[in-house]
Amino acid sequence: MIHEFIISDLTVISIYVIVVIAFNLTVGFTGLVNLGHMAFFGFGAYASALLTLGGVPWYIALPLAGILTCILGAIIAAITVRLKGDYFQIVTLGLAFIAIAVSRNWISLTRGALGLPGVPEIIRNNFNYMLFVMAILTACVIFFYWLTKSETGKIFQAIRDDETATAILGKNTYLYKVLSITISTFFAGIAGSLFVHYIQFVDPTIFDLEFFVLILAMLIAGGLASIKGSIIGVFSLSILLTSIRFIFADISPELIGAMRQMLFMLILILILIYRPRGMFGKVDV
Amino acid sequence: MMLSLKNISKSFGGVKAVNKCTFEVRENTITSLVGPNGAGKTTVFNIISGLTKPDAGAIRLKNKNITGMPPYKIAQNGISRTFQITKVFRNLSVRDNMLIAKKTGDAEIKKTLQSVYFEKSLDTIASELSYGQQRLLEIARALSMPHSLLMLDEPTAGVNPRIRQELRTILKNLRNGGKTILLIEHDMEFVMDISDKVIVLNEGKVLREGRPKDVVKDKGVLEAYLGK
Amino acid sequence: MPSLEILPQLLINGLIAGSIYALAASGFSLIYYVVKFQYFSHGAIMAIAAYSFFAFVNLMHLNYFLAAILTIALSIAVTLLKNLLVYRQLRKRKATPTISLITSVVVLIFISSLLLAIFGSSTKTIFFYNKTFDFGIFTITLIQVLVIVSAMLLFLFLWFIFKKTKFGKAMRALADNKDVAQVVGINPEKIYIYAFIISAVFGAIGGVLLGLEQNLYPRMGIPIIIKGFIGSVVGGLGSVPGAIVGGLFIGLAENVGVLYLPTGYKDVISFSVLLLFLLFRPQGILGVKIRDT
Repeated sequence: MIHEFIISDLTVISIYVIVVIAFNLTVGFTGLVNLGHMAFFGFGAYASALLTLGGVPWYIALPLAGILTCILGAIIAAITVRLKGDYFQIVTLGLAFIAIAVSRNWISLTRGALGLPGVPEIIRNNFNYMLFVMAILTACVIFFYWLTKSETGKIFQAIRDDETATAILGKNTYLYKVLSITISTFFAGIAGSLFVHYIQFVDPTIFDLEFFVLILAMLIAGGLASIKGSIIGVFSLSILLTSIRFIFADISPELIGAMRQMLFMLILILILIYRPRGMFGKVDV
Repeated sequence: MMLSLKNISKSFGGVKAVNKCTFEVRENTITSLVGPNGAGKTTVFNIISGLTKPDAGAIRLKNKNITGMPPYKIAQNGISRTFQITKVFRNLSVRDNMLIAKKTGDAEIKKTLQSVYFEKSLDTIASELSYGQQRLLEIARALSMPHSLLMLDEPTAGVNPRIRQELRTILKNLRNGGKTILLIEHDMEFVMDISDKVIVLNEGKVLREGRPKDVVKDKGVLEAYLGK
Repeated sequence: MPSLEILPQLLINGLIAGSIYALAASGFSLIYYVVKFQYFSHGAIMAIAAYSFFAFVNLMHLNYFLAAILTIALSIAVTLLKNLLVYRQLRKRKATPTISLITSVVVLIFISSLLLAIFGSSTKTIFFYNKTFDFGIFTITLIQVLVIVSAMLLFLFLWFIFKKTKFGKAMRALADNKDVAQVVGINPEKIYIYAFIISAVFGAIGGVLLGLEQNLYPRMGIPIIIKGFIGSVVGGLGSVPGAIVGGLFIGLAENVGVLYLPTGYKDVISFSVLLLFLLFRPQGILGVKIRDT
């Protein structure tokens, strides 16, 4: 898994913070458990890769990837958001599986399992790119703080707490739910674009269950409905994963990956059982 | 006429919960909807507020047809309601609960809360309130949203006698100030004290309606409650 | 479009794949029905069964019968351990269904990594002298016959348990209304254990058959439980007969779909079927009542 090797990288960590905060917007603040969230991240990555490989300059491809992703998100939300909680989760989970299937089989577009190598960088110098990404991250964090404290943000949370009560107070809850997902998928798409222009490669494994569980772990460990929690959650788990790498340093390389994964999953199980609200979580999912 | 129902019917899987229900609610009155359990009162409330779609019949609010409108639209047209089991926004503060209903300043929020004798601070998280306090908050919230008709579903259920007494005063004050209130209640003393009109529902139909002291003497009503 | 001559073969292939999917789906669905959460780690049991059968046969040279018995026993043991250490703890702490779903997926990944650690990443094949039978309009191997026959027998066995045994009635009572069931003296945790044991047996046999039919690799539990999940939803989430119908339906749809699409698109077919059902018939083929949240 690509994501494993660079978990200690500040650029990637910043990108993950954007993803997790966007994820928190729908799950923690609006109560929509969008299990297909990473499908949009991957879509953004593929979209940006294909655009830039096709000659589109990065300063168009990056925002365009976000826009294309959120259009897809809006369409899917418009169809699925009316489904009752259980079924919404199932549909969105199904989306992730569909994304795997499509990326593997639409070979003329995605080159299937071979993936798309040689994706151009946005900034050649890694340190400068890190600053660039962190600047975007800062803008995102400011935006989300503003959004969650705004009237719209309060309505999202009201919908999470009691959708019926929100409706009888005159709010069109359907539109607000679609809006929440649209905003969230926009940032997922942007994050995907930033990601793919850093590692310069994308393949169907970006839709893998393990990657999704990693992001989910960061969301839960940090805590739902807490932006601060998402930031700290990503950093703590990254530190944890990196230190696990050193614990198993002297065993055979093939074994290391497996044991690290096992240890990480074990810790995650403990969190899920004994502290599902994580560090700063304000609500239950 | 504030609200008029004509021949509203609703079945759930073969059971007729509401059967050609017809009644009116006059402006500036307190009307109580009473009846034995299972008479269809809450279903009628849900139909009026748009949470349940009727199989047949029509509802008019100030002569505008609101039948089949989605709940948020009916609310925007001027119907505000509370629920049998309070539906406050548990994780939001008192202030935020009120702000969802109406975007306004702390001063007006405090005034509305005080009018229902709600005592806690605006920053308190709703889940930390006692049940009685949550009920008052829900009523204040319903009052906050601009409306012409206020619907309360069993406002006294599960509250202590002191708040129950306060509610009588609160509702009478609202009516005297020009409000129209429709409520569902089981507490007959409460109903007798404050209602201008009582509508008795039984098996989904209006059995009898009229002034409280007339309805309570009606033989049909007694039979419905006590059985034949 | 290839000629319709191959349709009988495609139907047989569909039946074979569908049988394995139905075995995965019924284990998943049984636990969803009785214990009320999305039991994704069932895929891990199937993978463990495949690998342990491999270990017993290839590495310890035991005969098939003994290996099968030991595999089933091991699968039951692991399932009950999972229940004791993880799921029971979640129930004690009143974990939400979403948390339980996520935990189950995490357990699935944990066990996949465990298998990777123990057996390594190279694919494995179980020793089996496989015969092919040619019937003219279609061919079928001995393993494939085993798959279909075992699946049918197991489904019959499951029907028997549900309808004819006291225990089956207790399971249904518990699934329909937990509080009432407890009032009449049914002990939920005991019934849950039996439900897990049954699902473990299905998982074990399904896993061994899967391992015989395809090769083994550590992550194999994930795709199979995804198909099982799709089969359950398509057949009717919360219904065990639905899971069987759904699993078979998905298997057939995937393989008959080869008439119109290249083989690589099999996954796309099952996911598209899932999407169509969720949008237009969320109650599934058997029309299970959708619970209001």
